Amino acid sequence: MGAVTTPSHHDSHAHGPEISWEVQLKSNRLGLWLFMFSEVFLFAALLVARFVLWYDADLGIVRPELSQELGLVTTVILLFSSFFMNRAEMAMEYGDRKRFLNGLLVTAVLGTLFFIGVVVMEWNILGLQGELFGIELFGHLKPADGVISGIFFAMTGMHALHVLTGLIFIMVVWNNGRNGHYSPEKHWGVEACAIYWHYVDVVWVFYYPALYLIGTAVHAM
Amino acid sequence: MNAEKKAAAYRLGVTTLIILAVLTAVEYAVGVTINSAVLMFIIGLIKAAVIVQNFMHIARLWREESH
Repeated sequence: MGAVTTPSHHDSHAHGPEISWEVQLKSNRLGLWLFMFSEVFLFAALLVARFVLWYDADLGIVRPELSQELGLVTTVILLFSSFFMNRAEMAMEYGDRKRFLNGLLVTAVLGTLFFIGVVVMEWNILGLQGELFGIELFGHLKPADGVISGIFFAMTGMHALHVLTGLIFIMVVWNNGRNGHYSPEKHWGVEACAIYWHYVDVVWVFYYPALYLIGTAVHAM
Repeated sequence: MNAEKKAAAYRLGVTTLIILAVLTAVEYAVGVTINSAVLMFIIGLIKAAVIVQNFMHIARLWREESH
């Protein structure tokens, strides 16, 4: 994700005006935000589908029976991961390389915990059972359980896919940072990674209440 | 000057975290008590705006680069 490419010997003969770092950075930012904006349609379509299809003539808006505690914990974990990502970005901006690398690692660990919370515990792909202080640890919905399950897996699956790509992105940036690829003046890769990760958080800001809180809890249908 | 800016940047991160944590707690409380979809959506919008402004730095899009 290096924004500025050093022209190779071959490239140095290429025609065209040279683009300054400032202009390239602005273009990179605009490009990333436009990409994010295009993704809004994808996530919004799933969100709208949730409200249209999870509707009962008698009960009004409904939602699947999910563990409220598990939903809250995963949400808080993702919130903290966003905080540490911001801390890592600020550390790079002010030349604190150690805090930058540690911040990225903490973000990756928290992101992995969120991913485990959704895929292993909520999806329960291993078919586990268990309780902790009376709190159900593993979900019971299956993809073939009906409309509610279908939408639930589509929403959480699309989000989890972005979490996974975000984690890969973070590890790539961490490795680049370890090898000294970024400086306080030039660290577009770090900035882009942070924007992407916060975007994943913003999507969950709307998905969390839509999946776990809004409507009357019903069995899958 | 740089140390002050750095401290302010970290402080903004902590403030943002506290705001988001409080709003999440309020959202959860609304969800399990009055279950108002409109209220939860408004809380979600505020949370998203705070993240976009303070964490994603959307203002950089139209800021002249000072590096």
